[in-house]
Amino acid sequence: MMESAIKREVKSTEPMAIEPFDKEWGVGVSGLTENTSPFPRINKILKWLKERDHTADHERAVIYTDGYFKKYTPYPQILKCALTLRDVLQNVSINIWPDELIVGEIAAPAKSAPVYPEFSIDWLCDEMVNAPLDQRRNDRYVISEETKKALFEIKDYWKGHTLEEHILSTLTEEELKGSHLEKGVNFFDLYVSAGAGHVCADYDKLLSIGFGGIRKQVEDQIHKVNTSDPDHLTKKEFYDAELIILDGVTSYISRYGHLAADMAEKETNPERKAELLRISSNCLQVAEGPARDFWEAIQLWHIATNMIIIETNGHSVTYGRFDQIFYPYYRRDIEKGTFNREFIQELIEMSFLKIHELCKIRNKTAIVFSSGTFMGGTALDVGGVDKDGNDATNDLSYMVLDAHAHTRIPNPWMGVRLHENSPWEFKVKTFNVIRIGTGEPKIFNDAAMIKALQNYDKPIEDARNYVGIGCVEPCVPGKTYGWHDSSSFNIAKVMQLAINGGRCIGCGSHCPRYSKCAGIGGRLGIDTGNLESFESFDQVMDSFDKQMEYWCNLMISQINKVDLAHQRLKPLPYLSLLIEDCIGKGKDVSAGGALYNHSGPQGVGIGTVADSLAAIKQLVFDEKKVDGKTLLNAIRANWQGHEPLYALVNSDRMHCYGNDDDYADDLARFVTATYCKHVEHRPTPHGGEYMPGVFSVSQNVMAGFYVAATPDGRKAGEPLSDCIGPVHTQMGSHDRNGPTAVAKSVAKLDHSRIGNGLILNWKFSPGAVSGETGRDSLISLMDIYFENNGMQSQFNIVGKEVLTDAQKNPDQYKDLLVRVAGYSAYFIELSEELQSDLIGRTELSFD
Amino acid sequence: MKITEDGEPYGLITNIQKYTIHDGPGIRTEIFFKGCPLRCIWCSNPEGQSYEQQIGIYPSKCIGLSKCSLCINSCPRGTDTPIKTEDDRLLSLQEIPECKNCFRCAEECPSRAIMIWGKKMSVPELMKVILEDRNFYLKTGGGVTLSGGEVMLQWEFAALLLKACRDASIHTCVESSLYCPTEHMEKVYEATDLVITDIKHMDTERHKEYTGVGNELILKNIKRTAELKKPLVIRIPVVPDHNNSEKNIRATGEFIRDVLGNHVIQLQLIPFRKIGTEKYATLNLPYPMGDFSPPERSVWEKNLLRLTEIMKEYNIPAVAGSSQKMC
Ligand code: SF4
Ligand code: SF4
Repeated sequence: MMESAIKREVKSTEPMAIEPFDKEWGVGVSGLTENTSPFPRINKILKWLKERDHTADHERAVIYTDGYFKKYTPYPQILKCALTLRDVLQNVSINIWPDELIVGEIAAPAKSAPVYPEFSIDWLCDEMVNAPLDQRRNDRYVISEETKKALFEIKDYWKGHTLEEHILSTLTEEELKGSHLEKGVNFFDLYVSAGAGHVCADYDKLLSIGFGGIRKQVEDQIHKVNTSDPDHLTKKEFYDAELIILDGVTSYISRYGHLAADMAEKETNPERKAELLRISSNCLQVAEGPARDFWEAIQLWHIATNMIIIETNGHSVTYGRFDQIFYPYYRRDIEKGTFNREFIQELIEMSFLKIHELCKIRNKTAIVFSSGTFMGGTALDVGGVDKDGNDATNDLSYMVLDAHAHTRIPNPWMGVRLHENSPWEFKVKTFNVIRIGTGEPKIFNDAAMIKALQNYDKPIEDARNYVGIGCVEPCVPGKTYGWHDSSSFNIAKVMQLAINGGRCIGCGSHCPRYSKCAGIGGRLGIDTGNLESFESFDQVMDSFDKQMEYWCNLMISQINKVDLAHQRLKPLPYLSLLIEDCIGKGKDVSAGGALYNHSGPQGVGIGTVADSLAAIKQLVFDEKKVDGKTLLNAIRANWQGHEPLYALVNSDRMHCYGNDDDYADDLARFVTATYCKHVEHRPTPHGGEYMPGVFSVSQNVMAGFYVAATPDGRKAGEPLSDCIGPVHTQMGSHDRNGPTAVAKSVAKLDHSRIGNGLILNWKFSPGAVSGETGRDSLISLMDIYFENNGMQSQFNIVGKEVLTDAQKNPDQYKDLLVRVAGYSAYFIELSEELQSDLIGRTELSFD
Repeated sequence: MKITEDGEPYGLITNIQKYTIHDGPGIRTEIFFKGCPLRCIWCSNPEGQSYEQQIGIYPSKCIGLSKCSLCINSCPRGTDTPIKTEDDRLLSLQEIPECKNCFRCAEECPSRAIMIWGKKMSVPELMKVILEDRNFYLKTGGGVTLSGGEVMLQWEFAALLLKACRDASIHTCVESSLYCPTEHMEKVYEATDLVITDIKHMDTERHKEYTGVGNELILKNIKRTAELKKPLVIRIPVVPDHNNSEKNIRATGEFIRDVLGNHVIQLQLIPFRKIGTEKYATLNLPYPMGDFSPPERSVWEKNLLRLTEIMKEYNIPAVAGSSQKMC
């Protein structure tokens, strides 16, 4: 206790933020307060944003189609893409909204989503007619008649030319059978109909040399290309594309500068006039030049990221380590007196609102499982170590946390990096923000994240500079094209095939595949054995391993085809400007221009499979309470007629993952290791290696739809276990020993192999974390989890009653923000399936 | 002390709760002992009262006789079983003496609709669980808290367990009513680092009315605890209309100041919460506070804070609730 008492002293008297480090905002009060920012401007814009509908905008789509099919048809693909994007940037309408201090949009007005026909457009046109987007329960979009008309007009041009159609035409029957379109072993649809995103630009370079400096880098390289080099033409086309894009970029940013100047001229309020003039000069400066102060820097950072979104149609375009990127500007401005701390705080909050206004339309299936996400993956990290391993926490780290407490919106997705020398004050602020209950921020363990990256051959300096992409994916910013999240792999479905001779549980003539599968003696997977005939548990594990190998191989061949299609059809010349070493290599980022390349498919359902295997081991082989055949029949019958067995497997008599019980935890280790083994380090088409991840975001709900009952006491269609957490079924939670046991069980998995990251969701009742006692115990719990090599944690701190009530009376909980998986979202904006999954998670409460 | 057939002493334990953070400093594992000589009317852990294993029932968890019936089929009394059912479901189970040596229905019931309150556990068995969270105690200055029920009712076993904890360098806390022979208490204190006890009422008649026993022995033991300089935390379970009068609070304050010389680390005023309904039902027991309707939360919080302020007049480190740091 002595030691902790010493730690608790405030070490620094330096200002760390505009709020004291131990300011409390309340516990579990998400969504219960208004006007939370001390800045009236921020509250005002926030209100305006909340009242605005989400809409769609056709301009990008129309300009893009025009370029692609009329103006630039004969050009090679990369130039065609560069020219059409340049046209978008030069011609799309732009706006500066009232009271804004930072400007820029994504080729569509605030809270409006652009359309990306080059990926796929049929589904949108179809839904506009058959499933109107303004009548959705959640993720509503109001689409004007004008937009509808424009989209219908361009639709036919794209027939046969979209990325989606190209990919589907390359897939074999064997690859399709397990896909999201059929039996749901592997969901690789994310990058079939949208861009890969999941990337973090080199902001240090951009802010310090500006687009003009980057232009110079490109020009320098052009001269170095040897004309007799076999790659000469590819490189030349690439560099030409870069210069074309840079023209577009400069004119896009300048256009905002001119617009601001025009508006200033008409503005009668002298204060606003001055702001507009400053906005104008900011834009004109950073259209080519470097950022000279904090305001210019944050302007450039924001608009440069928007252009990645305009180009790529990817989500999880990540904003990087905010406190590290901006500290030099902040420090200089404070020292020189350019701005005071309050104004910089206001700019940070302003930037959060600008990120919050971004959005992306997802199709009607996606929004059931991934709802309420706005743009999605707008990640931004603070804290952590520098490249030498020293603490890098600074004033901005604290200010960013205050900014969330002041805005309480689900964007950006915030991550706090912690390590053994993180200041106590910083932890206190972090957990005080967490205790508000909005689900933000998540916390990362530097040691584990760095170790995972080193395991993928990153030099230590780069590994230490990691950022969590989107949800959590460890990534070296500015140097990586990670294809994180390239697929979600349904481990539970594979486990079922492994105990049922390669056939689905519940196989029969009602299955649409029957006549080409079991009906003619075939099977969905391969025959690796059957629970009726296994003689030992080793045989069960062996069967699972073989079935996993088969399906992981198939998954990789699917992803590879998707990867290649992106290289062929959708090069990304703008993004290539901002990722090292595309310019040096003369290669587009989609084709392997980045220094580090990966593909990171996620395994889903670790807990479900671990508990299922544990149940088989315990009941069939160790205790011999039931034979394999009976257990198999029970899950085939969805437990009907087997109610006592169903109650038993859901009872505390069973060994279950998450209870610090090696019996089940060892099996969770086995399942995770098996997945990693069949995925890790395999080559990707864009020149990198595969890197497995273990989290579901909300895919556990989707994947569960495709999985019949499982031996852990789950019924058909119920969600699988979420991310890396323990199981909870309709009958209740399988973790029964509280948070210390969960922390210990999860830490037993080998996190260093999980290069694409993992998520651990915690749910505490407000009473369990309130007061100093509650706060400090939670901090210590996480300290120990991290000392044991845990990688990540995120929290929901809302009472179950509140959630249940909010599901019934959504109108009273409009601002209730909760943590879903990789992200936080407004509870009432979630699909019913996700709401119920959240309510079902174990609530740890002990008062 | 009870001993198994192999000569191993055991305790009767109702529950073990890890990550307890309000009963002593740091992160703790709390062991609930079964059996208590008091019968406080506001008790919300009635399963801790009887010093015997008991059957508890949760009829809502029963999956249905037509699907299961494992309980009835396993009952050696056949048709004369005390298990009562209604509409294809378990209804009630009024224990008969034979049940104590049987409990077969509870062992068979797959859904824990019938379960046993109280588990016989030896010191090594308990230490295994306790040691699992050792790192958490070390990090936070936490440890083990013995609670109940009434720890002193199993004082010999408690002393053994505490000694084992001390040998493992684990901080120990005992939460007790201190209604016990002083020698037992002192024996238990040998390996106890912190004591948490209640002062439920200063008027012995009222005390008897609410708990079944007078307060003389308790106050004597508290005084002795102070004399022994045992670190002490005192709680007042503040129950509206029962012990929340200013008079009683002042009398308590005077006792702590004048008799104990303010030898108290913290005085906690704990608000009564009506959470016993379900548990009493599982035991077929009436809930004495069942008809009591607690006042509005805001009124109630104000009242608690006012009483806390009064306590401070006596220079007592008083706090409302149990979530402020003790040390
Ligand atoms: S026929 Fe049977 S094994 Fe084949 S996919 Fe359908 S359900 Fe699965
Ligand atoms: S054994 Fe349990 S679940 Fe089965 S009928 Fe009896 S009480 Fe109900």
